[in-house]
Amino acid sequence: MSNIKIKSKNLDVFYGDKQALFDVNLDLNEKEVTALIGPSGCGKSTFIRCINRMNDVIDICKVTGNIEMDGMDINDKNLDVVALREKVGMVFQKPNPFPKSIYDNISYGPKIHGKGETKSELDEIVENSLRKSALWEEVKDRLDEPGTSLSGGQQQRLCIARAISVNPEVILMDEPCSALDPIATAKIEELIDELKKTYTIVIVTHSMAQAVRVSQKTGFFHLGKLIEVGKTEKVFKNPDNKMTQDYITGRFG
Amino acid sequence: MTKEERLKKRHRAEKRFRFYGLTSIFVALLFVVILVQNIFSKGSSAFKKTVITTEVFFDQELLEIQNGASQEEIMEADFYDIMIENLIKAYPAKDREQEDQLLKLFSGDAEIEIKKAFLNDNNLIGKTITLDLTASDDIDQLHKGNYPRDLPEERRRISDFQLVIYDYFVENKKISKNFNNYFFNNGDSRDPELAGIGGALVGSFYSILICLLLAFPVAVLASIYLEEFAPKNKITDFIEININNLAAVPSIVYGLLALQILLATIQLPRSTPLVAGITLALMTLPRIIIPCRASLKAVPPSIREGALAVGASKFQSVFHHVVPLALPGTLSGTIIGLAQALGETAPLILIGMVAFVVDIPSSPVDPSSSLPVQVYLWSESAERGFVEKTSATIMMLLTFLIVMNFVAVYLRQKFEKRWN
Repeated sequence: MSNIKIKSKNLDVFYGDKQALFDVNLDLNEKEVTALIGPSGCGKSTFIRCINRMNDVIDICKVTGNIEMDGMDINDKNLDVVALREKVGMVFQKPNPFPKSIYDNISYGPKIHGKGETKSELDEIVENSLRKSALWEEVKDRLDEPGTSLSGGQQQRLCIARAISVNPEVILMDEPCSALDPIATAKIEELIDELKKTYTIVIVTHSMAQAVRVSQKTGFFHLGKLIEVGKTEKVFKNPDNKMTQDYITGRFG
Repeated sequence: MTKEERLKKRHRAEKRFRFYGLTSIFVALLFVVILVQNIFSKGSSAFKKTVITTEVFFDQELLEIQNGASQEEIMEADFYDIMIENLIKAYPAKDREQEDQLLKLFSGDAEIEIKKAFLNDNNLIGKTITLDLTASDDIDQLHKGNYPRDLPEERRRISDFQLVIYDYFVENKKISKNFNNYFFNNGDSRDPELAGIGGALVGSFYSILICLLLAFPVAVLASIYLEEFAPKNKITDFIEININNLAAVPSIVYGLLALQILLATIQLPRSTPLVAGITLALMTLPRIIIPCRASLKAVPPSIREGALAVGASKFQSVFHHVVPLALPGTLSGTIIGLAQALGETAPLILIGMVAFVVDIPSSPVDPSSSLPVQVYLWSESAERGFVEKTSATIMMLLTFLIVMNFVAVYLRQKFEKRWN
């Protein structure tokens, strides 16, 4: 049994008067991929956005309850979110590279955190990040070209490289393959397999097959409630809950 | 209705709409062409001035200075007698009355023009040179063909005798048209042939510069704060509504405000580009804030989230990513706002820029005119010469506006980056 990296206890999230998450208790294991599945609007994204406090951006969003990373209270008002997000990277549903060069896309994070003091250090970080995201061979000769000139799949791997560049401990992925074709998706999945050796990964996905392929643990959300969580094999082969059974067999959702 | 009938009806509706659209565009273009043609036909002649080629002899007896005199000596010397002596030789006049009429063919600046020739070459005493002296407004208009010479003499400003002299000049090729440097270099004048937009150009330049320096930083910082940092609450909404309202306030109201606060209370010098610039800045501020906020809003939230997710602070995500992307829109919005300010007349009239200012302002606190106010001033003058100058000034103003708008479009296209 691996260590618990992130632990949420009685987590509630409200958007104004509307409650989006109800009493979520979910543990994420270190250096493991946890997949979150469930129909649209069930709170999967809301949950992972609690981990790096991205919900702060939304004025009306209020988070109560407890969520911890290595015993540190993420929800603490006095917590420096900049330091938190250095440890918890995120990849979004739609690839969102900065409209800057490929190099600048990767080097931006290390720069603002003071990680690459010299040009050669930065070069090294950029190369390592691109290698880890399996993009280096494709772009090594055109690092000056805008990140937006890449194909959709390459852009998403660029975004993964950008997340890796600051050397986080956790990577959150919010439907990272929903805008990609099957070949690009396969590459990203391969990449996730590789990355889990170093990072704790949480992935939100609408594809059951993807959840089965990449994750060790799966959580099923429905209407803001965590219905079932367990080893991926168990959840998909022999779920405890009738609703989970119905969802994974495609009877609703 | 059958299916075919309905289909036909839909096609007819589309055709009708295309026809209406084309007609509207045609009508709009027609108006533009009429306007431009009207301004050009009236104004283009103002870029030329009529000059009379005259021989000038620098008689030692009439001048109290020597060859090689210093600049100050020449400036103080009296060239009036030299002018009279030489000009009356341009045509054989019989008596004092005719000499007076002959002198009136030249502009009021003939003496200064002769003095300038001497300033250029201070060894002219005892020599004769040929000078192109500016003609009076009446002769200028006559030569440009704008003067009705077939009216009876008592209804003309030009006498029969003056017409005889004019015809003599034309016959002997002593009269010609030159580039009108006075129009660009001179300030305003009561004499149309000497009046120019130099003062108005400088005044407008200072006003717009001050307007830019005040309005741009305030507008940009206000937009960034309101769009990115301000909490979304009633106060922010209230400010937003009022900025939109302020942009729609008639400009003359800003003139009244400036009159009361800047001139009456703070007692800044009236008729100056300083006050004009501040007034125009107040007026332009909301007009820049609106496009600035729109271009900030147009930056997709995914860029902000991307920056925040790698651990950028709010400030870093805004200034490293959002602002650079919004800059082209911001700049073009600013230029369009300034172009509006450049053409603004009403508030400037209220702060006293309609004053008759001959001197070209040397600083923003000197009394001055501005281009649109100069148009307004001259359009009220009866003299023929001011009619063409009014149109010529409008041409200059339009040129500046078109250039500014092109710069705005160019900046937007050059620096606009595409995102996803």
